[in-house]
Amino acid sequence: MNILLAEDEQQLSRALVTAMKATGYEVDPAYNGQEAVELAAQNAYDVIILDIMMPKLNGIEALKQLRQQGNKAYVIMLTAMAEIDDRVTGLDAGADDYLTKPFSLKELLARLRSLERRSDDYQEDVLNFADITLDNDEQRLESHNSIALSGKETKLLAYFMKNPGKALSSELLLDQGWDKDDEADETDLWIYISYLRQKLRSVNAHVTIIGEKGGPFTLAQTTA
Amino acid sequence: MDIYGTATPHLPQLLDQVMDRIRDLSNKEVANDRPKLYEHLIGRVKAQASMEEKCRRKGYPVTPESALTKCKDAIGIRVVCNFIDDVYRSIDRIKNADWCTVVEEKDYITNAKPNGYRSYHLILDVETDLPDYLGQAPSHYFVEIQLRTIAMDSWASLEHEMKYKHHVNDPERIEKELRRCADQLASCDVQMQTIRQLINESN
Repeated sequence: MNILLAEDEQQLSRALVTAMKATGYEVDPAYNGQEAVELAAQNAYDVIILDIMMPKLNGIEALKQLRQQGNKAYVIMLTAMAEIDDRVTGLDAGADDYLTKPFSLKELLARLRSLERRSDDYQEDVLNFADITLDNDEQRLESHNSIALSGKETKLLAYFMKNPGKALSSELLLDQGWDKDDEADETDLWIYISYLRQKLRSVNAHVTIIGEKGGPFTLAQTTA
Repeated sequence: MDIYGTATPHLPQLLDQVMDRIRDLSNKEVANDRPKLYEHLIGRVKAQASMEEKCRRKGYPVTPESALTKCKDAIGIRVVCNFIDDVYRSIDRIKNADWCTVVEEKDYITNAKPNGYRSYHLILDVETDLPDYLGQAPSHYFVEIQLRTIAMDSWASLEHEMKYKHHVNDPERIEKELRRCADQLASCDVQMQTIRQLINESN
């Protein structure tokens, strides 16, 4: 992971940079908010750690500018213990998490590990159920044969494969495959369920999606 | 020397007859208010040189007997369909036709070859009044039928181009892309099939 650390206390910054580099992360230090914004404009970061009290541009202002520029990095704010308002303002300005100062290095590293798990392990590249394999990355369904899936088909099938045997409502499935502003309805879902059924059949899978138009739908194994 | 012997003039004749019979099968569908069976038909008699090469490759003696009984694709017809269910409907009509018997069947649509090739192959035993290579009539000939969708057919043309190029840069990468492309075309075929069903269900 590439990390940007914006912290004006030189000694603390050095200690954090050393510890995170020792763990295997790439870390760039910035010593004020302005510098952080400039570095983030030039380099790609997965995580940005922002102290709130910083010269030139404080952490909240820097965060607002970053988000305005479309930066989607995971942002952890470093706030003072007493300032509940800082945390609320930070989260509302687009921060993802916060740590209250003084914090232990152990806790910061644990949060980074947790974040890595969330982005790697929990978005599994390859899912398996019965005799089918879904490659999320390649958007490919495999069984005795293989076939390409569209983005929405991949999202829907992945959700089915993570919840096999469960009756999933149309509402839940629409939430998984479509954005709110797509204004997709049960008929759209039904068409995609039909595509997936045919594709499962075309790869000779012993798996199907049970359910009538309107839902609920269940991913189930079929007998050979 | 002629690899097909005295049967040489009869092969194009039989090819024409079988193609006419397949055209009839499709005409019958249309007469019964069903969609035509296929988009187009093509046929060929395997060139002398390719047949000789095939006999040698397979270790058969280079004789009319090998070319016409051990090899079963001297006469070949390709049935290219618009949609997947047209492929299966064509297979069904051919199997039920009284002028032939299916002696071999390979479904590379449900079980695509590892390179991505999809097609359905039938070997027919066709009865005819024409004489065989021994001069006996009536006789039997083998005819190979390949059935596939337009998408599968275009893919096969592309793969054929790559296979017969003497030098291709980075063939592994091209093969990988061809495989990916085959999966995408299969996806389109299934999608069109599904949409066609949705249209028919709403009638």
